[in-house]
Amino acid sequence: MHDDDRHDGHDRHNEDDRRDAADTVAGVEEEQVIETIARELRAPIRFDATLDMRVMGQVRAGRPRGAAAAWGWLLRPRTLRVSPLGGLALAAGVAAVALVGGRLAGREREGPVVVVAAPDAPGAAAAGLPVAAAAYEPRGPRTVQFVLVAPAAISVAVVGDFNDWDPAGTPLQRTRANGVWAITLPLAPGRYQYTFVIDGTRWMPDPQAPRALENDFGRPNSVLTVAE
Amino acid sequence: MELTDAVLVDRVLGGDVDAYALLVARYRDRYARFAVHMLGNREDAEEALQDAFVRAYRALRSCEDRAHFGSWLFRILVNRCRTAGVRRGRRERTLVRDDVAFHAAAVEHPAERSAWREEIRRALDRLDPDGREAFLLKYVEELSYEEMSELTGVGISALKMRVKRSCARLREMLQEVRSA
Repeated sequence: MHDDDRHDGHDRHNEDDRRDAADTVAGVEEEQVIETIARELRAPIRFDATLDMRVMGQVRAGRPRGAAAAWGWLLRPRTLRVSPLGGLALAAGVAAVALVGGRLAGREREGPVVVVAAPDAPGAAAAGLPVAAAAYEPRGPRTVQFVLVAPAAISVAVVGDFNDWDPAGTPLQRTRANGVWAITLPLAPGRYQYTFVIDGTRWMPDPQAPRALENDFGRPNSVLTVAE
Repeated sequence: MELTDAVLVDRVLGGDVDAYALLVARYRDRYARFAVHMLGNREDAEEALQDAFVRAYRALRSCEDRAHFGSWLFRILVNRCRTAGVRRGRRERTLVRDDVAFHAAAVEHPAERSAWREEIRRALDRLDPDGREAFLLKYVEELSYEEMSELTGVGISALKMRVKRSCARLREMLQEVRSA
């Protein structure tokens, strides 16, 4: 090795050492500044107990948009009138759900398929799916059908904002179609997070529906918007 | 003897709504600090925390690990703060957003706190929300990167990067203040 090379190597070494030392000093200095900041921010902050009262007030006020009220609305006796135009709309509903039924039959893998949020319960009946009869009112609850293809499942339930995430509250019924589970719920217009529970233990979001961005509860949920 | 979170959650799910008040009292102050620093003011922080408690109550059945109710609640709060931050961000963009106006607005509030604390608050507020969240979780709540990743759903290397950038930015901003 030439002397020049040795000198070059030596200089480079020194330069690297100086840079390392400068980085270390900067690193230590930064750590000190950050620790000073963090110490200041770690001081406790207290909210007074009125927050507890407000929380408990909301908690005791009960469910803001639970399924129970919607069922009450649904089961109230009423006369359902169907105008010629309404008849056409219902027929369109039949076609839409029949199409969905076709998709279900063609699917092989297990997975939730579709949520129908519309006053098209007759269509669901035509497709062989269990439905609740419902009438359409502009501001009333909408009939929402949850359908899941799960041939190997022993039980399937849907949990969400609308039933306080109770796995025992809303079981889906096995339909005549092989492996298809379904339930129709009356839901007030609004935005809901939900997921399916298979065999009481396995929580599974709907891969066909959008995921909730907030993922509040530690697992991905699906999101459903019931329009007014 | 203090009742555990798991016992209290069981009681609430069994119909004892008042047991939830004990959980609220237990976690109210513990999480107030994060919400205040994240959102920059007490009013928004109280609202976010209240919202987190109510949402947690309504979804209590989905809390699988009842012994870790606190971590589960904290995750909800972190998300509530994100949502509130986005809302606040939109509101602020319609009001003041250039730095000169921002400083002028802040100086108009003579704080009883020390000037240093006020500068820290201001610097924290100027971090981007992701960076602020990562910094607070790491240095103020003193979580490990694994815990942060589990809580936020963000990868560890991305979190390390956010923390590093936030530290550099804070140091830069506060040195500017000191040398001004």
